Amino acid sequence: MDDELKGAIRKVLPDVDCVIGWGPGPDPLRSAPFFMRKPEEVDAFVVGPLAVNNPAVFLPEYKGKKVGIVVKGCDSRSVVQQIAEGLVKREEVVIIGFPCSGVVDIQKIAAQLGQDIEPGMVTSLSISSDKLTVNVKDTAKTMDMADVRADKCASCQYPNAVVSDEFVGTPKEGKTDDYADLAAFEEKSIDERFAFWEQEMSRCIRCYACRNACPLCVCRDHCVATSREPHWLNQADSTREKLFFQLIHATHLAGRCTGCGECSRACPVGIPVGLFKRTMTRAAARLFDYQAGTNAETVPPLQTFATEEPTIKEREW
Amino acid sequence: MRIGVFICHCGTNIGATVDSAGVAENAKSLPDVVFATDSMYTCSEPGQDGIIRAISEHALDGVVVAACSPRMHEPTFRRAVERAGVNRYMFEMANIREHVSWIGKDKEANSNKAFELVRIAVEKLRRNRPLTPKYFPSTKRVLVIGGGVAGIQAALDCADAGIEVIMVEREPSIGGKMAKLDKTFPTVDCSSCILGPKMVDVAQHPKITLYACSELESVSGFVGNFEVVIRRKATCVDNTKCTGCGLCAEKCPSKKSFDRFNEGVGTTTAINIPFPQAIPKKAVIDKSFCRQFVKGKCGVCAKVCPTGAISYEQQDELLTVQVGAMVAATGYDLVDWKVYSEYGGGRYPDVVTSLQYERMMSASGPFGGHIKRLSDGKEPKNVVFIQCVGSRDVSIGRPYCSGFCCMYTAKQAILTKDHIPDSQSYVFYMDIRSPGKGYDEFTRRAQEEYGTQYIRGRVSLIYPKGDRYIVRGVDTLAGAQVEVEADLVVLAVGVEAAANSPHLAEKLRISYDKFGFFMESHVKLKPIETNTAGVFLAGCSQGPKDIPSSVAMGSAAAAKAIGLLSKDMLESDPQIAQVNINRCVGCGKCINVCPYKAIREIDFRGQAKAEVIEAVCQGCGLCNATCPQGAVQLSHFTDNQILAEVEALCRC
Repeated sequence: MDDELKGAIRKVLPDVDCVIGWGPGPDPLRSAPFFMRKPEEVDAFVVGPLAVNNPAVFLPEYKGKKVGIVVKGCDSRSVVQQIAEGLVKREEVVIIGFPCSGVVDIQKIAAQLGQDIEPGMVTSLSISSDKLTVNVKDTAKTMDMADVRADKCASCQYPNAVVSDEFVGTPKEGKTDDYADLAAFEEKSIDERFAFWEQEMSRCIRCYACRNACPLCVCRDHCVATSREPHWLNQADSTREKLFFQLIHATHLAGRCTGCGECSRACPVGIPVGLFKRTMTRAAARLFDYQAGTNAETVPPLQTFATEEPTIKEREW
Repeated sequence: MRIGVFICHCGTNIGATVDSAGVAENAKSLPDVVFATDSMYTCSEPGQDGIIRAISEHALDGVVVAACSPRMHEPTFRRAVERAGVNRYMFEMANIREHVSWIGKDKEANSNKAFELVRIAVEKLRRNRPLTPKYFPSTKRVLVIGGGVAGIQAALDCADAGIEVIMVEREPSIGGKMAKLDKTFPTVDCSSCILGPKMVDVAQHPKITLYACSELESVSGFVGNFEVVIRRKATCVDNTKCTGCGLCAEKCPSKKSFDRFNEGVGTTTAINIPFPQAIPKKAVIDKSFCRQFVKGKCGVCAKVCPTGAISYEQQDELLTVQVGAMVAATGYDLVDWKVYSEYGGGRYPDVVTSLQYERMMSASGPFGGHIKRLSDGKEPKNVVFIQCVGSRDVSIGRPYCSGFCCMYTAKQAILTKDHIPDSQSYVFYMDIRSPGKGYDEFTRRAQEEYGTQYIRGRVSLIYPKGDRYIVRGVDTLAGAQVEVEADLVVLAVGVEAAANSPHLAEKLRISYDKFGFFMESHVKLKPIETNTAGVFLAGCSQGPKDIPSSVAMGSAAAAKAIGLLSKDMLESDPQIAQVNINRCVGCGKCINVCPYKAIREIDFRGQAKAEVIEAVCQGCGLCNATCPQGAVQLSHFTDNQILAEVEALCRC
């Protein structure tokens, strides 16, 4: 499939500024965002379980230029939502899709290795369909792919690009998402949950990687986190301010978040900040029967007004 | 800034449970506050003079009044500060009556909360800046929704004042419920004789355009500049050709069609003119009975129509009109009385509604004015009237009094005696409610001159016995159970808001109460206005009303519309949205959510940006709430102001 995808990228290249995908990262275990402008650059293109980043995060920056983008199913939902929200123009993006079998969670691999992964530590890597072998210096560690796969992949409804101009490979069957993780979390009492978040957020270093990795965060220099005008947040190193930012982020994404999981993945201290957004996503699904990033033609529920919502019976007098 | 704070006592309304003087004393400690005092009635002339004097004596450039809801008196105080030379938007109000004194009795807690609200208002005011209203033109045309007597009156009054009127009526003819009535209380004059000429006036008035069989599809725009889409439903008859000759109805083979106008008393033809005085007098096809539609073949009416007006292919038509004001006069419908199994739940043919009885008595009704039973056509001798069927009944969610049933029941009892001199009428009632000119005298006449037996009590059961009915009830005055043999039972069925009223309210962006009646702006002082500028109410759409009240309200609504449109330019509130072009990413979400089309996309150095059209923006704040970047801010409701208010509250 790699070669077929590379072929598709080369085919698209002449019409676009660049094609965004994945390329070699700092070590064999990690890929990095990759911007291909010349056909020879395509050779280094990487796809598979290591293509973890969501390349859609770069798209709004290219507004006004035509670009190509290689997307997993989850990434494609971000693109669709960007189009639905007018952040990206459909005619300015060429979407190359493929059936995704899931990506790895580096933190799970680190846990399997029993140590943090320092740069240069992993010397080589081999991947089969259900196994992953990591060579750290001279010792090889083989792990089940199922044990190191990202959580979001377990409930992936859209493994194939939702929208694509070029699709390479045979579409895969999607899974269902029953929000079991949320239900499990909500088993805890309110106090326990709050204690959990206080503990988690106390570790936050306010790097805003969660925000920067989010393909739907478009406030750029005017983000409430850094703006003094209006002065929603102060810079005090307090759990309260850190938590407050997450709550603002989650409400900003209510009915918009496509669940790509980049916020949690990007967090350098491993705070599961994606849970906040998943709560909103579930609410949007239950209240408005709406799933962000599945149809660029529908208007997100919080950006329109329906006289009567199908699930909210307010006229029964 | 130099701010003055005025804490109102509102007599004892606030003063009894809030220490107004203490709050004023505390307010002196707030930033920028240079003057604070309490006053007995701040809205009164001495109260307003106090504000004006303080402004000049203390060189104030901003004023906070802590008093009642801003709905009533914010304009009063804005005018007052403007008279003293301060910009009227450098004024804020804290509601310490509805939000404080009326909801709690603990004086200390109330005073604390009142102070908190004052502190919030001061913090907001400190971030206000002077604003100047804009002016915009209006369309001198009024839309009247509903052609009952209230709507007719509103339309005629507007048209006589020289304002164009568009009247939209859901049914094939105007006239509403009044057109169905036989006689009217308390004078017992013929309903169609007094309403008919008004209906004709509507048809003939050069300023009135009537669309029957039509409904409101959608409304956009704002006061002075509404754009209304009207759905003209297909009647399958070309109104420009139909002369109302009635030949089609004569020949129509489908003679068992439900007769809506006659409330199902008797039947009619699938193509019909609902009643002889109908306006417009045009035939209409009822597709649920027409053989051409039900069986796919017939075409008799098309063959006999001398002008070729029949068109089975006719489709609904959408029509867009511009209007400056709207009058909602959508009237009422009867409560579904069939929920009452004790009254037979609709199983007994001779248990009829009051409105059916009107049609049974009417000379133009299906029986030609001779009352007879629906079951066997016999003239009834014993007629029992039951009042409050679906009124004042909490158990079915209708706790209110329908207002006019006591009166029409007395009228129907009188008319029954007129029609059948050897008949006897009985009325089961809860209370007789007859507050109106000549009303109580009228109910007494029914009892004293016409021998109607009034029994104070409820009916527990109606059951058939032979070809008659036994009405079992209680006479609470005698303290005994009574049973009356009846040939006919007439239910004074209560009133509810017209079907689909909430849908219409949503289109008009006005509020409705839990029963579906439209909400007036102020129960006592603004009964005609709604909270949407330019939308007025008339008749039963606002609540149950008899004919004189509906007519009066129709005239009142017309006066409001005429007053509004008599100005050439309307003033817009300058508290509107503004776009910070640096923050705007040009996504256009604000453009999509704006209900007034007040935001457009502009090209700013090659980038798309949003821009607010100032005279069109109504300051609703939807764009403000929608913009994820916070690029749209509403003047005097900016993020910074709201934040300052929250922080002021948290500091308390």
